[in-house]
Amino acid sequence: MRRVSLPRLIAVFTWTGLSSLGGGRSAYFHDALVRRRGFLRHDEFVQDFTLSQVLPGPNFSNLAVALGYRLAGAAGGVWGLVAIVLPGALILLGLGALYTRGAFSPTVTLLMRGLSAAVVGLVLVTTLRIILGSRRGGRAIVVAALTFAAVGPLRLPTVGVVLVMAVLSFWLQWSRPAPPPSPRPPLEPVGPGTN
Amino acid sequence: MADLALLTWTFLWLSLLCVGGGLGVIPEMERQSVSVHHWLTAREFVDGYTLSQLTPGPNMLIAVFVGYRAHGLLGSLLAGLAMFLPTSILAMVVSHHWQRWRTRPWAGLAERALIPVGIGLMAGGVYTLARTAIHDGVTAALAVGTALAVATDRVPPMIAVLAAGAIGWLLSR
Repeated sequence: MRRVSLPRLIAVFTWTGLSSLGGGRSAYFHDALVRRRGFLRHDEFVQDFTLSQVLPGPNFSNLAVALGYRLAGAAGGVWGLVAIVLPGALILLGLGALYTRGAFSPTVTLLMRGLSAAVVGLVLVTTLRIILGSRRGGRAIVVAALTFAAVGPLRLPTVGVVLVMAVLSFWLQWSRPAPPPSPRPPLEPVGPGTN
Repeated sequence: MADLALLTWTFLWLSLLCVGGGLGVIPEMERQSVSVHHWLTAREFVDGYTLSQLTPGPNMLIAVFVGYRAHGLLGSLLAGLAMFLPTSILAMVVSHHWQRWRTRPWAGLAERALIPVGIGLMAGGVYTLARTAIHDGVTAALAVGTALAVATDRVPPMIAVLAAGAIGWLLSR
């Protein structure tokens, strides 16, 4: 059963993808699909959003697939993915070709230094917001801090770190009573780091 | 040919490491692309991440950039497919069953257990980018200035980033 026709879904997803610059990319979907067009309810969006976070893979494409599937079945999932990935991929390919050919003059190279430093500032804020917006607790903080130290300063391979930390984290969470169900954290501080 | 297969395989397993945000996979992607396989330099990697931030769509499109740098158009296509296709199929399959699964106790446990790991990985991603991008007082000041401007919520992130780029360029002339 399709709630939204495929051409409409492709048009809305393409536009949402193209306008999702900078921070809060998943929030653009919430605004476009829930608030402005009423394609789905807020709680349905939160379900798909949680799914896209828990599953491995780039969150933004996972979210597009989950929302597309909900709105228009398997074809909606496929076209939702194509609509948000393809335009950006073509733009980045063009930029990559210019970069590789050395078309970036010394001026642009200097500009890139400033831009990449600024991007570090941007992803820092996004990460801090996600940390502050998530449910805290000593055990979760220990797991996050150990994971950070291992893959950041220590430069250990992420696969091993994730396996060890996931087992540790499951054990720590399993060995304590589940917290009472609480309202989900707000959606908006979902920034460029969560794509 | 062998390196193309290696590129595809590497981005395939890297895509599975994107838990709780694409930023989390950056340390390992940098390690593999720069130190292990020499597909590009650390500087090019940071520039690629910056370009993918300035491009609409998922920032994991950096896979397309690395693939292009390593093996041209074919490399970009294979790296992009490896990054997005398998995990999207998984998302589709789980979407189909999620209505029933999400109320089970283990679903909540998985969420609680994996989110702290994802957050640690994201913070590691910030560290990895900073190690190359921040190398003197000017770049450090630009990063802090952008962070403060974005944190006020009054400046659109892209405007803050572009302004910092322009200021950095003016200062370094």
